[in-house]
Amino acid sequence: MGTTASQLPKDSLSEYQELTFLTKQEILLAHRRFTELLGRDERNHPNPRVPMQVILTLPELKSNPFKTRICQVFSTSEDKDGSLTFEDFLDLLSAFSDSATLEIKSHYAFRIFDFDDDGTLDHSDLEKLVNCLTGETEDTRLTSEEMRQLINNILDESDIDKDGTVNLSEFQHVISRSPDFVSSFKIVL
Amino acid sequence: MVPSKNRLAVSCPTEEQNLIKELVALSTTEQIRKIRELPVSFEEKKHVRLVESSKGFFSKYVTGQYFALYLSFIQKCKEDVYLWVLLCCFLPLQSIRRFGYNIKSARQTLQLWQGIMKEIGGKFGSSVLNYFVLLKWLLLFNIFSFLVNFGFITIPLLVSDLSPNVSPNVSFRGLELLTGAGYFNHTIMYYGSYSNETFRGLVDYDMQLAYFFTISVYMVLCGLVLIFSMASSFKKNYALADQASNSAWQLLCSWDFSITNEKAVNQRKNNLRIQLMESLSEKAHRERQTTSEQLKQYGIYFGSWLLSTGLAVGCGASIFFLCQYEDEVRKSTYCCRNPEAETLLVPFVVSLMNMVIPLFFSLFNKFEQYSSQRKQIYALLFRNVLLRISILGVLCYYWMNMVPQKFTCWEPIVGQALYRLVIVDFIFLMLGSLFGEFLSNVIGTRIQPRLGVPEFDVARNVLEIIYAQTLAWIGIYFSPLLPVIQILKFFILFYLKKVSLTHNCQPPRRSGRAAQMKTIFIFLLFIPFFVGAVSIVAYTAWSLTPSEHCGPFRGLNSTFSVIGEWINDVDKVSSTEWVVWIYQNVIRSEVFYFLITLIILVIIYIFWQLIQGRKELIVLLRKQIANEGKDKSFLLDKLQDLQKSCPKVNKKQKKRTTVCFARFYSKFICLQFFCCCCCFCTLPNVLFFFSTQADAQLSAPLEISPTQTRWFRFYSLASSWRKRRDAAPVAFQSRRTFPPPAP
Repeated sequence: MGTTASQLPKDSLSEYQELTFLTKQEILLAHRRFTELLGRDERNHPNPRVPMQVILTLPELKSNPFKTRICQVFSTSEDKDGSLTFEDFLDLLSAFSDSATLEIKSHYAFRIFDFDDDGTLDHSDLEKLVNCLTGETEDTRLTSEEMRQLINNILDESDIDKDGTVNLSEFQHVISRSPDFVSSFKIVL
Repeated sequence: MVPSKNRLAVSCPTEEQNLIKELVALSTTEQIRKIRELPVSFEEKKHVRLVESSKGFFSKYVTGQYFALYLSFIQKCKEDVYLWVLLCCFLPLQSIRRFGYNIKSARQTLQLWQGIMKEIGGKFGSSVLNYFVLLKWLLLFNIFSFLVNFGFITIPLLVSDLSPNVSPNVSFRGLELLTGAGYFNHTIMYYGSYSNETFRGLVDYDMQLAYFFTISVYMVLCGLVLIFSMASSFKKNYALADQASNSAWQLLCSWDFSITNEKAVNQRKNNLRIQLMESLSEKAHRERQTTSEQLKQYGIYFGSWLLSTGLAVGCGASIFFLCQYEDEVRKSTYCCRNPEAETLLVPFVVSLMNMVIPLFFSLFNKFEQYSSQRKQIYALLFRNVLLRISILGVLCYYWMNMVPQKFTCWEPIVGQALYRLVIVDFIFLMLGSLFGEFLSNVIGTRIQPRLGVPEFDVARNVLEIIYAQTLAWIGIYFSPLLPVIQILKFFILFYLKKVSLTHNCQPPRRSGRAAQMKTIFIFLLFIPFFVGAVSIVAYTAWSLTPSEHCGPFRGLNSTFSVIGEWINDVDKVSSTEWVVWIYQNVIRSEVFYFLITLIILVIIYIFWQLIQGRKELIVLLRKQIANEGKDKSFLLDKLQDLQKSCPKVNKKQKKRTTVCFARFYSKFICLQFFCCCCCFCTLPNVLFFFSTQADAQLSAPLEISPTQTRWFRFYSLASSWRKRRDAAPVAFQSRRTFPPPAP
């Protein structure tokens, strides 16, 4: 469209550059893709908020097994419905960018994997995680016996204080030992 | 703090103040970096930024509740005030920072192939990206080598009058591009055309020293860069990886978030499930193998290793005999319609072997069943490396031992042989891409759909470019402009592989350990290949006699004696005697190297013991954490038991204290009432009394009447009651409430 309302002001651009890990081109590209998602009447709104269903039409998120969790974690809306403003969207891209630090990535990965938002990964969270990654249909799911054994293996490996759950520090400890994490926890527009 | 709560400021104002205090103490760039690394939403970061930047400036004047007011004022007229603040204090710093960002983004756009690599990484994952990153890195090595060689060796030669002249009866034919001989022999391409003079001009430029130092400094720099990148890669990716690297957590955490293709995602999910099942059943499988099965397994291993070593050695021997045959053919007078085209025979056979024999190795690999995929890849890599090293080794032996005796001007001959190897290798790389990827794709999709679309074989391709770079490293001494060919080769190869990848291949199905493979590749690049190349060049420089009639080192006993002569010249100048001293006593003395080696060994031993100690400490700390967790749960259980067993005691105590308080309060109310009544009654009397007393005081000494003492006593009693009333509610509150039990 090219109207002035859809251009980023220079102050905001430099502020975004300073407070996120994105480069100028990435921010401009994100702005362009975000405004494409907006409806015609929303474009002149000062701080538009895009509902989750529209965000999930982005090709980068469409086939991601964690798409709903990602939207919920980065959303700053009051009713936790997963809708994102442009700044939330930038937060999302910044956490998933090349130059984000390991701490940021592991922090957000922990929150994404924490399906019930209670601050720890317990048995049910891990079960949901494995199901997300192996498949949802009946024939691709693991049997309950295999699931139990798998989660026991996971907890054996990562639960250091033996309380049956994985908290943030233990998760970060596990992440620090897998060097592939930083390069695979990436979403690029 | 529960991670799901995103509100820093609302829930913990003191935590925010601590953060602000910490930030104000840092420099601006550090502040920005720290704020960027906060795992909170964008609004929070803006808020923190605003608070700390204004606090730093106005901290002297604004405190307490005025601070909040000031902040709200700032946010309301943000544009004006912020601008004013900027103009006063921060504009110079802000504009410098913004300029820095612009430069950074400009530099990123200029970086070679940045967009293409992002695209490849996004579609195919980081293991395939490693290949292209390595290719780009080696290209940079070659560009640097070309600049250095051209600048320090070739340009002085061209500028001076001693540039080589091509004799008129040699003309350029097309074949030179392939063979490197003929017309090229007389150009600056090879060692033979460089002079050994010292150019007298503005500065005395000694060509011999220039040639020697350029090549050796380049090699040393390459070595240092390789060592540093290998060490940092090792530290990040390999040393921190646990023994149980095939564990479930590793598999779960390595889910690639950048895959966008629906089919690829489903395939990955399927493979992850298979890998998880494998990791569960691996232990069981290992225990279930019987002795006869194990013996059979070991027999297969032994057989395939024997075969592969035999193949490698056989290839080496055949190359040697081929070289000798070619030599005899050259000497004999008959045949040879085209003696120059015959020189292409050896490179052709070498490249053919390098392309075909690894296929046999993959076949052996399919028969063997290694316990993990990693061991499989390592075995395959080791065999391929062995093959290439043996072929290269045989060729180098031939060049070092046979060629100097047969030719007068032997270095250009070696240079030409290397040139031919590089060119033919390039042709075969292109053919290999055609056969390996395009044909496999056609076969997999049309003819035999069961095979499916091929994957990009990262290990094989990486080994090919490492081998190509080794040829260039060996050849730099004999042909200073060989990096030009290499630059062109890698440039074209990049685009070729990228097109082939996007059209013919699919993303890898298994989530491979990309980071560990990268470490292995750099390690391979360094240890067998780079060290081998450097040792060949060093052996040539140290032991072999340079040819007498061509090249910059003609007439000397060995290339290294250039240094000796230079030191003799330096010795004549008295002010540089320390250089001579260093040369004689440090570089040429054996004791120095012995001492250095001893010291380094001692240091290594100390670090090794430190590592063992740290490992034990880690085990102890883990046990301690587990014990503390148990202690915590034990104490919590105890506390809960205690609370469960005395809930009646609580209620009784509560009743008693409320009754006490009620009694005291009623007493107090009565007293207050009594005081008020007395006050009202006696106030006029007191006033009258004091007024009369005032007159009397001027004349008579003060006499305290009994009514006065009574009033004072009463007043003091009332005031003491008031004090106790103010103190009482607190005392009673602390007795009334219990500390809430921890959840």
